[in-house]
This record gives sequence, C-alpha cells and structure tokens, in this order.
Amino acid sequence: MSNVEQPRPGEVELKVGFPGHYETRKFQVPEGDAPPWDANTKFTVVGSDEPRVDGVMKASGRAKYSYDVTFKGILYGMILRSPVARGKLTGLELDEARSMPGVAAVLALKELGNKVRFVGDEIAAVAAPTLDQCRDAIEKIRATYESEAHNVDFLSAEDGPLVDDSGEYTEPWAEDSGMEKALAESKVQLTGTYRTEVQTHSSLETHGAVAKWNGADLELWASTQATFGVRGEIAQAMQAAKVKCDSVTLHAEFVGGGFGSKFSGGAETRAVALLAHATQTPVKLMLDRFEEHTCTGNRPASLMHIRAGLSADGILTAWDWRSFGGCGHNGGGGGVAMPNHFLNTAKKRTTHKDIATDTDPARPMRAPGHPQGFFGAELFLDELAAKAGIDPLELRRKNDQQPIRQAQYTLGSETFGWQAGRNPKPGSPMPGDDARYLRGVGMATARWGTLGSHGGRTPHAALCRIHQDGGVETRNGAQDIGVGNKTMMAILTAEELGIPVANVKAVMGHTSDPSGPASGGSTTTPSIAPAVRLAAYQAKLELGKLAAKHLDISEDKITWAGGKIGADGKWLTFAEACKLIGPNPIEARGQRFPNYKGEPIENGVCGVQFAEVLVDTWTGLVKVTRMLALQDCGVVIAKKTAESQVLGAMIQGISYALYEQRLMDKRSGRMLNGDFLRYKVIGSIDMPPMQAILQTVFNGHSNTSAAGLGEPPSVAAPAAIANAVFNAIGVAVRHLPITPDKVLRALNQRGGN
Amino acid sequence: MSLPDEPERRGFSRRAFIKGASVAAVTSAGVAAANLAQAPQEPKSFAIGEHEVELKINGQQRKLKVETRTTLLDALRDRLDLTGAKKICDRGACGGCTVHVDGHAVNSCMMLAIDAIGSEVTTIESLTQGEQVHPLVQNFATCDAMQCGFCTPGMVMSSLACLQRRGKPTREQVQHDLSGNICRCGTYGRIFEAVERTAEGATK
Repeated sequence: MSNVEQPRPGEVELKVGFPGHYETRKFQVPEGDAPPWDANTKFTVVGSDEPRVDGVMKASGRAKYSYDVTFKGILYGMILRSPVARGKLTGLELDEARSMPGVAAVLALKELGNKVRFVGDEIAAVAAPTLDQCRDAIEKIRATYESEAHNVDFLSAEDGPLVDDSGEYTEPWAEDSGMEKALAESKVQLTGTYRTEVQTHSSLETHGAVAKWNGADLELWASTQATFGVRGEIAQAMQAAKVKCDSVTLHAEFVGGGFGSKFSGGAETRAVALLAHATQTPVKLMLDRFEEHTCTGNRPASLMHIRAGLSADGILTAWDWRSFGGCGHNGGGGGVAMPNHFLNTAKKRTTHKDIATDTDPARPMRAPGHPQGFFGAELFLDELAAKAGIDPLELRRKNDQQPIRQAQYTLGSETFGWQAGRNPKPGSPMPGDDARYLRGVGMATARWGTLGSHGGRTPHAALCRIHQDGGVETRNGAQDIGVGNKTMMAILTAEELGIPVANVKAVMGHTSDPSGPASGGSTTTPSIAPAVRLAAYQAKLELGKLAAKHLDISEDKITWAGGKIGADGKWLTFAEACKLIGPNPIEARGQRFPNYKGEPIENGVCGVQFAEVLVDTWTGLVKVTRMLALQDCGVVIAKKTAESQVLGAMIQGISYALYEQRLMDKRSGRMLNGDFLRYKVIGSIDMPPMQAILQTVFNGHSNTSAAGLGEPPSVAAPAAIANAVFNAIGVAVRHLPITPDKVLRALNQRGGN
Repeated sequence: MSLPDEPERRGFSRRAFIKGASVAAVTSAGVAAANLAQAPQEPKSFAIGEHEVELKINGQQRKLKVETRTTLLDALRDRLDLTGAKKICDRGACGGCTVHVDGHAVNSCMMLAIDAIGSEVTTIESLTQGEQVHPLVQNFATCDAMQCGFCTPGMVMSSLACLQRRGKPTREQVQHDLSGNICRCGTYGRIFEAVERTAEGATK
C-alpha cells in the first residue's frame, strides 16, 4: 500500500544494504522511472510465499512445451549426423531416402567437400509422417567421408598442457621476478594442479522446434532461452525465402530447461524451418538424447595450475594462476573464472589458454567458468590453510573485504555448525562414527558479477494492461525457462497495483510482446523486473486519472490504500475503478532504464555455501549428508521460486562434484555415455537435507533492486564439497568428479585406512 | 483385423526385457514390468506395418493406428495428443514418460503400444477433471516441486504409484520409489515434501 508519488528524477537518497548493514547512499534515477524501492519500503506480496503461477499447469501435464505442440497432419523431422570426428564430406546420395514410404522431404545440411568437425556434425535432414519412417529414411542416405586423424582429449592436443603421472602440470612458470620475490617473501607457499571434466547441460527437453508456414510468414515453437535471438537467427537463415524478422513469430511459452545451451536455434531449428518450407506442412524436429549430449554444447573441461604465498598473519601475498580450457572444435568458450575477492593486495598473475579438440563446442553453462575455477581456487585455499595451520573459514574472513559475504560467513558458520562439524583430525573417523566412514565439512564462496542491464542499444520493456473487468496482464516477450520469471512479473504487478497475485496474468515467451533479454548470466529478472514494475506503475497512474475524474478530486491527491483508490473519504475499490475503463484496456509500457549511477553496495551477487560429506573408505563412495547456502538475492521477489533456484543449483553442484563427466572413445571420437543410463546425473537417493537462506540485499541498481539467481548459487557448491572431502580424508582430490576410484587412490596416498 | 484378447507379445519384446533387466533393481516401475512379464500368453503375431488397434486410456477406449514397433509413449503423444508424458531419454532411464499400466508405474517409452492392448493405461491427464486437480498435483504446485517442469508429470505419476502402494511412505521409501526419475533442475527435496503432504491428506 502506498501513495502514488510522482517520479523523482535526478539524485535520490536510498537506504541500501541488508539487515545489519544499511547505509543511505545517493543514486541517479533516470527521468520517467518509477520511484525506486529501498529498505524503507513496506511490501505486501514482494518476498512472500506466493506459489509459481504456472505450477498447476506444469504438474498436471497441461503445459504445452515446444516438444508437445502438434498440428493435424504434422510431419516429423530427423537429422543424419556424422560418424566421423574429423574430415570432410565426400559423397551424399539422397534419392533412395526420398523414395521411402511417407518421406516428404530430404535436405542436405552440409555441402560436399565441407569439413566434418565432430561426431554428430549435421549432414542431412528428412521429414516424414512418423518418427519410424524418418528413421527408415535416414538409414537409406548414403554419405561418405574422407576422415583425418582426430583428437578428442585436450590433454593429448599438441598445444595442450603437459601433465605427469600424478596429474601435476609440468611446464615451468614464465619468468616474473616480482612474482618470485612475493612468493619468496611469503611464509607459506603451495603449488597444485586442479582439473575438471566435460559436463553436458542435459536439459530434459531436448533442443528443437516446430515450424509452420502461414503463407510467407513463419511461426516457430522453439525450445530456446533466447526468443528474440533465435527469431533473428532463423530469419537470417531463411533469407533465400525472402524472410525477414517481421515475418517470423517465435513462441517459447514453456521451456524444459536450457542452462545456457539454448541461446542458438542451431542446425535443428534451421533444418525444421527448411523442411516445413519445402513441404509446406508443419514439421516437428526435436533431438534425441544422444544428440542432446553430443551436439548441443557442454561445460568444457579445465586444468588450473596455481601457486600462491601466504603471509605470517594469513594474508594472501602472491597468487600465480594459469589455466586451460578443454574446448570443442572451435577452440573457444573454455574460460575459467577465478575468485578475485581474496586477492586485494596480493601480487597477482593470471594466464589462460583454450585448447581445441574434435568435439562438440562448448556453450555457456550456468555460471560459465565459475564452478571450475572456484573448485580449483577454493580447494587450493583449503590446502594452503591446512599447510599454514589456519582454519579455512578464518582464512577467507581475513582476505575478503565484501561485507555481504562477511555477514554470510558469520551466519553460515553458526547455522551450519562449522566448528562442531569440522573433522579435527582429517583422515580419522569423527568421534562416534563407524571406523569405516570419514566425515568432514567444507565451505566455499561465490560471486557473480552482473546485475542485468537495460538492453544495450535497444532497451527492454514490459507491457501492463488493465481491463474493465479487473483483469490485469503483464507481458514480456522473453522466456521463462523454469526459473519463475512469470511469477516474479505477477508479484511485482500485484504489489504495484495493490491487488492479489491471482488477479494478474503474466505472459512470456512470444516475440509479439515487448523485447526482453536472452536468459543468460542471471540477467533476465534484473533486466525485466524494473520494466515490469514501471509498466504497472504507469498503468496505475492512468487508472488513478480515471478515478480522480469520477470522484471529482484532483489527480495529485489520489491515494492507493488497502486495495482502494481515492482521497478525502471518497473511495473506489480496484474493481470499481476498472469499470471506468471502457472496452479498450489501459495499456502502459515500462522501459528498462540503465542501471542507476551511484555507489552500489556490490556490483554483483555474493554467496557462501557449506557442505558435509561422509566418505566410505571401503568403496570410495562420497555421500553429501547436508548442505547450506547463504545467498544474496538482491530483493527477494518470489521467495518460493527463488529458493527452488538456489536449492536446484546446490543439487546440480553435487552432481557436478561427484558424478558427471562426458566419456569419449578416443579411437572413434564418439561419446561413450551419451544417454542417462551411463551419464550419471544426481537422483533422488543421492539427496541430502539442504537449506537455502535467502538474503534480501537492496543494491540500488534499479527501481526494484532485483537480481538473478541462475548463476550465483551455482558457483560454490562443487568447491564446498571438494573441501569437505579434503577435511574428511585429509587428502585433496584435485580432479572432479570425485568418483570412488579417485577417492580410493587418495586414501592410499594417506597410507591405508 | 481382429484384435487379440491379450497382447501376445507382452513379456517377450526386447523392450520389455531390457526394461525389466535395467530398471528392476532400483525402481518400483521395474517391479511392475517384471510382474507384467509373467502373464502367460498364447503366441499370436502382428505383421510388420501399421495396424488399427484399440487401447483403454484413462477409462476410455481409443482407436488409433500404430506400427508394431511404435512405443506406448509415441502412441500417446503423437497419435492421441496426450503430451503430459514426456519423451526425455527414450531408453527407460529417466522416468519422464511414466504412466500406469494396470496400476503399475511403467516407463511408456519401454513398452510397445500393441503390448498395452487389453490393459488399463492411466496417464497424468487423468488427474485433472475440469478445474479440479488431484491433491498430489496441487501439492506439487504448493511445494514448488518443479522448475522447468518437464520431468514433473513423470514425477507425479511415480509419486502416485508410491502413494498407492505404500499409503504413508517414509522419506526413504519416497526417495527409493522416485529413483528412476531424473530432475535436471534439482527439485527432488520439494518433490519429497509434496508426496509427504499428500500422504498426510493436505489438499491445498
């Protein structure tokens, strides 16, 4: 409940920060923006337990994903892919496939003589009335290849990092006298090599789309996390058919996961548009699970070699880092992110090199580079702390100047029981435990450095409509890939208008609505939320004008209180005010203004996670027994969906730390475990109890102080688990995933159990 | 074409065999498959190719054309537009396509459509009647036991089988019974809560 305040352009003082750490700081608020919320704002539904707005639709199976869209007479599409990892296409005979029963179209996707770059590279596509007929036709395509020697392992690449039998990187450090001096002057030094394996996104809805031509216009239902980007991509791909963006409409109302792999429509979306064009019939082309594992990107492998020095009082004074990314055939996307927040005064050096292999290229995956880099760096820190005889949490406290994380260290260690949970004698059973099991706890930090944007050259926007029957719509054309953006939009609109969330319909995923970002880098919520709120605010001003006229009071006196509009003892309910609207709704557009200029508390999002593990010394199996996350969320808008995102990131973190790795057959260049039987993803029986503590932080970046939660909670979990294993067994397992074979080897190093 | 009274290939198909072998050790769905496999059948055969068959789905007899090799999942999704069951792995490894066949949770990607002739097939769609949804569905929403939602219908059907079999399952039993279902977003904990709330009788 609030008075309608007129927009206050220019410098505004906002109370920013978080409980126990509030400050009043000045920010430049752009003209035309809604009055920004800050720590003094009293919320009605923002931050409450409102359920996900499309929860029942999803749980009842009624939600229609792109995979579920169908039309009478629809055809199915399928892609023939290369069995050769490297070489070129020398022959392609399609005629026999064309003559197969039911086959409506067969198209070449690669020209003769072109390079084949990995097992799974697209060669040709077919369309037929059933998937079985597609499969029959695919078998009749004769493709021949000239194959070349290939390499699918970045450690075997000519320019790859050289490691010895123990896994240590063997190249000498490049000369740097300043670094050598800083290391020599430090009290404790350590050097180590850390590695991670390729992880596939494994979105449950595979990539693909349904395409339908309506005359010269193309309608697409695509499983994507970038509605506008994919529309442009396909329009460009269809230029030969005289297609421009304005004749392509893309829908992605429900998306079965993306995690960074669905920014591009890729060969499959181009193929389905072409097949539908060739047949003038709707076509559905969704990849199968093997294609999803091998042709739609991955989190690349990494190797990190670190040396550092610690002063007598536990401050990092030297930090020397070199890393490698094990990438696909384009040799890109292998960047590894290093936690910079401990290196305030340390002499610092970092180098990185991406190594190409003849495999499917990397794509961004939830906090690209971060789970890898933070695993290496934070496990290194724990080893360094152990060598120096310092508590690893204390080491972080001493070296980290960020007040949000400092608060999280305190709250986290109390809530989790850090002191009691630590194994005082790593490698020995904790008092009361069976001698077979070793227990330990670890923690790690997270930072994610973006808080959304206004959209660069073209600002994002949102639409709010209020209808005469009291119905309210909030719309944006970006996609909700499951994180809860629609729920966020409904809550913000309800808050602004003072109505129940259930009265707001939030619509996303149609390119006919105002533009929004791709769902990447945790930018969707912070980019859209301020526009959604401003749209609702503008619509509210319009409704206020109607109410003022009807009540015969001046517009500037209009007050909104307890769901009523008016002043001076003359009041209308929201429903009564809406009746003044007429057949055409109030329609207001909210623009996303640039992030406020000023002194934010932090230019990103902070987090800390704790984990406890139980290591079975007989089998080498690691079980995570409990976890805790403390997560800066900006302002928590939709508490339930935000919690789900944080918990989900922790669960994915366990999966990455303990189970997931792509296994390649070096000889054939083919993925050996391209299915869910042999590519192990965390399941229900692996689940520990876990807790997510969400912290509202007013960051002063926008009128809502919103932040995104895709990336931030994904950063710390694998490192926290690796540190817990180190605390349990007394030996660091420096190579993810921490599988039983590696644990048993580490236990042997320790000198038997 | 005359329809056999019982699906004669049930129990002998490669898919049913694989399913029984690969899943029986860990899931209740596997147990169900093993039970199905025991029904003694008089050998009859469908010729290779397309056949019009009749399946009993959610209490209704539905006529549809399928090939002998068409899975129950493809038949439900592509022939009958019952798209609640999802095709995720198509190899019985994720549970996304879970339906009930004669009261048992089954991966419908691992069963041929013709093997479902004469059986009662129940899909996620049966849990919605007009505006009313089954309490389990409601509790999934209440607990936010989903994110992208693609695994959710399969999770609901496996959870329903768990509840029907056990009444008030322990947390460990719920974890065990859902171990054939994969959720990539990581919503397991809240799914357990939704199942337990339903067992306790919560409907809101």
